Amino acid sequence: MIESGQKKVGLVGMFDDPNTLIAAAKKVRDSGHRAWDCHTPYPVHGLEQAMGLKDSPIPTITIIAAFTGFVSAVVLTGGLNAVHYPLRVGGKPLFSWQAFVPIYFELFILFAALATLVSVVVYCKLLRWHSPLHDSGLMKEVTGDRLAIVLESADEEYIEQTCRPLLEAAGCTDIRHLFENTDDEPTI
Amino acid sequence: MSTQGTISSLIQTIPAPARSVTVLRAGGALAVLGALLSALGLVFTDSLGRLAHGYLLGFSFVWTVCLGSLLLVALHHLTSAVWSVVLRRVMELFASRIGLVAILFLPLLIIAYVGHETGMFPWLTPEVAADHIVHGKAPYLNLPFFTLRAVLFFAIWFLFGKFFVGRSIKQDNTTGDERSTLLMRKLSAPFVILFAFTITFAGIDWLMSQSPLWYSTMFGVYIFSGMIVSALAAITLSAYKMIDSGRLGQGIINDNHIYNLGTLMFAFTVFWGYIAFSQYFLIWYANMPEESFYMVQRVEGGWLNVTVLLALVRFVIPFMLLLSRRAKTLRSRLIAMSIVILFGQLLDLYWLIMPQIHESEPTVGWQEIGPVLFCSGVFLLTIGSFLGKHKAIAVGDPLLEKSIWFQL
Repeated sequence: MIESGQKKVGLVGMFDDPNTLIAAAKKVRDSGHRAWDCHTPYPVHGLEQAMGLKDSPIPTITIIAAFTGFVSAVVLTGGLNAVHYPLRVGGKPLFSWQAFVPIYFELFILFAALATLVSVVVYCKLLRWHSPLHDSGLMKEVTGDRLAIVLESADEEYIEQTCRPLLEAAGCTDIRHLFENTDDEPTI
Repeated sequence: MSTQGTISSLIQTIPAPARSVTVLRAGGALAVLGALLSALGLVFTDSLGRLAHGYLLGFSFVWTVCLGSLLLVALHHLTSAVWSVVLRRVMELFASRIGLVAILFLPLLIIAYVGHETGMFPWLTPEVAADHIVHGKAPYLNLPFFTLRAVLFFAIWFLFGKFFVGRSIKQDNTTGDERSTLLMRKLSAPFVILFAFTITFAGIDWLMSQSPLWYSTMFGVYIFSGMIVSALAAITLSAYKMIDSGRLGQGIINDNHIYNLGTLMFAFTVFWGYIAFSQYFLIWYANMPEESFYMVQRVEGGWLNVTVLLALVRFVIPFMLLLSRRAKTLRSRLIAMSIVILFGQLLDLYWLIMPQIHESEPTVGWQEIGPVLFCSGVFLLTIGSFLGKHKAIAVGDPLLEKSIWFQL
């Protein structure tokens, strides 16, 4: 139930069966509603396709960072050992790329790993600290034995006119409001 | 959803064994063409040495594809893999050719005994054997022991190949015979250990000993890494071919299975790059004359182009083009990369074998192409007849249904 200091931010449809959830997700996907997500306590095969999820941008970020690391390593080793501080080692040429391959490789990996870590934090909204699911008291259920579709929208008329019939048509019998705390104090 | 019903109707679509006329024709044509080219090359250039080395190239190519597949079969059992049950017969198809590979080895053994003038196995010629270093290796590199080892290698591979493939085929007529699966699982562990030893020493005997002064402790792993990735490429190509011809049923193999092939191909491409560079890197860095001459030979003159090309087709191109997730299920990409990888394997073997006889410039002629076509052709011919006897999917495997249902 809505408490003081909370506002409605969307609609939640609770499900007990992953197959029903997938069928419902397909309906929501086809309805064109943009801001929505599924919450399940375990990985549900086929949900990605049912939700019509696009490829994550993270691999692209990773590869760009990786090659940045590679180029940095070439510039670093070559610049230091061959240009700014020419030091002959073992009678080999000043710019011996073979010797630096381990460094190229390491920086390639290091940049890729760090960029991936940061972009995962950003794209998973881990900096948000809390979620409306906590405020609505739903987190316990969707990490326990129930599955949920969350349709986010601040427009109450849109929620009642469009979202609710959508979930009902998908066979959902347990539809609730999604609340968010308006004060800054997070409730867990 | 009635999963059970869907799956049994899928299994119904697996056709009865039938000889593949295309494969038989292609194999026959390649074999005849290869034999013809080899003969012509011999007549016109009269260089038995080149032909012998070409034959070693052709033999090594089918040997690596066959043995890599046998290892994949054993790994499948060892890890109790589920995804590969539907594709295991394709691996067994290649792995079962080990008897043929043993027959194809016979000419090499004959060359070892009577063909000193070909320059094969140089440690057999008195001039080279008199060298101080080669003389020190004589307790290992001598003809009786060499023969004994070859017999031992093929005996091990043949017996295990016969066991894994034979048991699997026997299972076809049962309804989920679990005992065979458990027995294969048990015996796959000793085989993998034996495989590691036999492949290392076979690589040393047949490829590394072509340059008897040289040694590399990584050589066994190097051969293994190339072997497994080329086996995966051959399996991927055949899987697509057999999906198209309906041999693997309708809708049984899907992206989830193919993705694993792509991933493994990518992983072992990276592994090859890592091993190949490590071998080169350590020799380059230590710069010891008794090791480095092998690499120097391969980066001088025209051989430098071959070395660069090898790095490109064996590592850079497959790495870049198989990197993304989507590429690993993209049909055209996987087929193209499989062909690139198989070409890379041929080039790799060429790079290992040929600088011995073409010291200054790499040369490709009928004597090199002929035996490669011949060996591949004979290999394909026997595959065509295997398909006529056995179903292309291990229908008796108790894990088959689970495998069809497999999702990433």
